[in-house]
Amino acid sequence: MRKVALVGAGVSKFGVRKASYRDLVWEAGKACFDSIPGVKPKDIEGLVVGSVMPERTAFQSHISSMAAEALGIRPTALSARTEHMCASGTVGIRYAYAFIAAGLADLVMVLGVEKLNQPSGDEAILNMGTGVDREWEAAFGLTAPPCFALAAQRHMAAYGTTEEQLALVGVKNHTHASKNPNAHFNKGATLDQVLGSRMIASPLRLFMCSPITDGAAAVIVASEDRARALTDTPVWIRGSGQALDGFQLTSLHEDYAHWPAMQRASASAYKAAGVGARDIDVAEVHDCFAIAELIAYEELGFCAKGEAGPFVAAGRSDYGGDVVVNPRGGLIGCGHPLGATGVAQAAEVFAQLRGEAGARQVPDAEIGLTHNNSGMGEHIVMIYGREWA
Amino acid sequence: MTYFRATDPFPLESADHTKLHEFYTRLGEGRLVTTRCGACGATAWPPRGFCGECASDTFSWVDLAREGTIHAFTVQDTGLPAGFDGPRVFAIVKVDGHRVFALVTGADPATVQVGQRVRLAPVRVSDDPKGQPRWLTAFTPA
Repeated sequence: MRKVALVGAGVSKFGVRKASYRDLVWEAGKACFDSIPGVKPKDIEGLVVGSVMPERTAFQSHISSMAAEALGIRPTALSARTEHMCASGTVGIRYAYAFIAAGLADLVMVLGVEKLNQPSGDEAILNMGTGVDREWEAAFGLTAPPCFALAAQRHMAAYGTTEEQLALVGVKNHTHASKNPNAHFNKGATLDQVLGSRMIASPLRLFMCSPITDGAAAVIVASEDRARALTDTPVWIRGSGQALDGFQLTSLHEDYAHWPAMQRASASAYKAAGVGARDIDVAEVHDCFAIAELIAYEELGFCAKGEAGPFVAAGRSDYGGDVVVNPRGGLIGCGHPLGATGVAQAAEVFAQLRGEAGARQVPDAEIGLTHNNSGMGEHIVMIYGREWA
Repeated sequence: MTYFRATDPFPLESADHTKLHEFYTRLGEGRLVTTRCGACGATAWPPRGFCGECASDTFSWVDLAREGTIHAFTVQDTGLPAGFDGPRVFAIVKVDGHRVFALVTGADPATVQVGQRVRLAPVRVSDDPKGQPRWLTAFTPA
């Protein structure tokens, strides 16, 4: 396999945007091209667009071609859309990685974009139900919050995890987002605010949940030769893993606080990268809900099973701790424009490993990890390095 | 043209639309059934027209108990999809060893408990576009 690196990255402003789906494509594309002046749209050989539900939110399919034309890209090697619910953007990065590693392309843009907010707020939530099984789950009114509430209840019962520990994830990520001008939320949050926010699905309160957000993000992925020609500071893709336990709630581990697929996905990624959990300096994990971040600490190996509550309470996932988790503000603080999320995580790790993260910079960050889940039963982990090995 | 929604959140349950239609017919009669693989005999929840164990696509219907036990549940108060009201009790009900995702109705959400016995109480939802009845799996305290 050839070595593969990120050489450019940019994100749009995330939020409830007065912007069209195409506006968001332009905004992320502009930010990404601005990050690497040596690359113009005509240089890009391939485009992969991660996007979950434009058929419902923009009444548009044929997404990759639409975005290519919007950005002036004429693909010669690869053009595709990836839909994989919350992990769509990272799945797109894996496709670009595989194509380039195999020698089928040298320079590919991966763009994630979602326009979730609709004229009717409850329609936006109705659309989110497309991510669970229509016949056996979504028809009942199920969307993500009650699923993750099951995991939170079980984690509290089995390990004594407290509402305050769940809330501390919200405090941390809202605080981090206050230093990210592209985040959905910029005001930070106190423990009292998080614990006093309205209940969505017990024990998950509003400030422990990611919001409905519009946004886009893009990265440019390159072969080793092209990367070295374009920049002195490429960020290498060191490893990757993906694993599935199941799709429907009734197919997952009987104990909803155990997510074995995340262990398998991270084991693959760590092995490929030749690193372990202790080597990770900065991690962008999929905190769609606070409980997901706590379980991620455990399944990624940052702490032992059941110890995530004390881990966050002791500040071990914050600046000055073992690993800085979600410096950009996570999904809770930045929002979660589904297809854009994984790409925005990669863009954050790109900035962090190049020392370009400004007020959010993790000192001396050398190895970064991104994680997405699509539901509780499927997980994808990427590991990036400032050095190849 | 005014802004409109063109979505039907419920499955199309009749024989015109799904090979699993007998599940819904029987649910409407107050029976909970699932599929047994015609080749290897594996039973599954939910019903399936293809066996993930042996790759056979033949199956027969078997009755499940009409009572079960709440394995896990959650109550959602707000943030529900358009057309769905809260509070809504979502539960995983253990029935004959299977985990069945279902609604719990007819109970004060504050009194629902893990381990509670519940009995089948299917919910009728809006008819399909041809006027055929549609049902969802639900339980109520036994």
